[in-house]
Amino acid sequence: MDTRKGVVLWLVAAMMVLLGGTGATAAAEREGQPSDQSAPAMAAPTITIDKTVINNGGTIKVSGRAPAGKPVFLEVWAVDHAVRASRFDSELDKETNKRPYIFYITEGMPAYYKIFAPKEMQAKIDAEKKLKRKWSYSNVLKEMGAGDAFNVPAKSKIDHFQSSLMASIIGSRGDLLPGMDEKENRQRAMQLTKARFGSIDKVFGADIDLKPDGSFTADIKIREGLSPGKYNIVVVVDKKTKSEAVSFENQIAFPLVYLDNAGTSLNIFYPFVLSLCVAIFGVLMGAGGGFIMNPLLLALFPALPHTIVAGTVTPTVLFSQGSGIYNYSKIKFINWKLGCGIGVAMLLGGFIGPKLTEMITLDQFKFAFGWILLVLAVLMLWQTTPGYLAKNKKEQAILKEFKKRAEEAAKGA
Amino acid sequence: MKIEFWGQEFTVNMVIGCIGGFLIAIMSSMFGFGGGPFMVPLMTVALRLPMYLVVGSSLLAIFFNTSISTMRHYQFGNFDLYFFLAMFPAAILGGYIAPQIAKRVSPLVVKRVACVGLVLLALNLLGAY
Repeated sequence: MDTRKGVVLWLVAAMMVLLGGTGATAAAEREGQPSDQSAPAMAAPTITIDKTVINNGGTIKVSGRAPAGKPVFLEVWAVDHAVRASRFDSELDKETNKRPYIFYITEGMPAYYKIFAPKEMQAKIDAEKKLKRKWSYSNVLKEMGAGDAFNVPAKSKIDHFQSSLMASIIGSRGDLLPGMDEKENRQRAMQLTKARFGSIDKVFGADIDLKPDGSFTADIKIREGLSPGKYNIVVVVDKKTKSEAVSFENQIAFPLVYLDNAGTSLNIFYPFVLSLCVAIFGVLMGAGGGFIMNPLLLALFPALPHTIVAGTVTPTVLFSQGSGIYNYSKIKFINWKLGCGIGVAMLLGGFIGPKLTEMITLDQFKFAFGWILLVLAVLMLWQTTPGYLAKNKKEQAILKEFKKRAEEAAKGA
Repeated sequence: MKIEFWGQEFTVNMVIGCIGGFLIAIMSSMFGFGGGPFMVPLMTVALRLPMYLVVGSSLLAIFFNTSISTMRHYQFGNFDLYFFLAMFPAAILGGYIAPQIAKRVSPLVVKRVACVGLVLLALNLLGAY
């Protein structure tokens, strides 16, 4: 077999030489590959799955056979939907003693990505879990020897930007740095995978029952609320020993809707009902309600990224503000000079804020927002103290009086 | 800066107003809320303006902030259309229903409930439970 291949290759190479000098070098490069492949000839692992369609998650029984005595990994990912993953690197570099301030972003992270390992490796996952938020993706891969199974995110294109204080002030991502080589891209992809999926259980599972003879079975649980469409499973033993991809389909039906930017499926009635309650409550309280909506969404739907929550609630709030302004302006109850004066300063702030949302992690977001809410709670409490109420009563009376005058004036005009 | 409103004249310290507004805008656009609950105390307490002047004008000021931050969030791809379409009609509907209920509940009770709710949410975000 090998000799025949060699002969054919030799013939190809000979033809290349005949065709031209440049062709010859290409052929020489090609010649290197087959000998590489044929070196440790291991049979490719086989894989079968019990069903090809699941409805909003489910369990897929995987079985197959791999070369005996070697660990087996399953790489599972969503083919049809990719999401964005970003990470702002401001950690102190131990070698240079400088903070890099580099912003990494990719649009090509699979909406679902998980590596399954043999059951014996649960201990290694648990050990890393003890580090809590500081767990490292690359470390888990290394500990389990699963580096060869990490393929799909490694190939997604990552842009990185050199950020600076000035760039943050004018609200830009910074200067686009030249592309990374394969190795670095792979390294950064691991960090982005962690940044995107957060918890260790979402990206690693020790569920494979591996027998000494190399046959294996695994129950792969696909959560609810994931992206619809085609998913692939590949069995990986090492760099060269991989199975063909088998695929299954995750189906979701209305009222479940896939949110493309958020990368999760959601029963669309939940945010509707939630938003209705918060809107009513907000009006009763005399505030927009965005500051209740955001933390509620984060608490109830942990799968939603904080950037999407902030970015989608903002326009919702915008319209209620617009209608409020319209109503007040009808009765000339707005001082345009004051509103626009402070408004210009707020315009600058509003330009910078969304940039910062993108740069912080979910944990930092929750931490800062938590404290803001506590401050807000104190402000609210202060507004219910007797001293404030007494003062407020007078104010409210004046407010009503002026409003009445304004309404009458508007009618008269 | 001097401003006139319904026959009365007020002096506004625009430096405090603008710095405060700027900081509130960064914070509120970063976390995706309107900023009204912070803006009203800033204008009444720090700028010593009466409530009847503040209600409309603070709304106008935060409208600037919310519109630019909407644009920026959209630009950074943080906006999800279906998610928005699920929440937006509900917010409008809420605006119609709320005034019907408003007559029957005391704003004081609502504020106290909100207080408890905010503390619970804050502790949840801070990971206390």
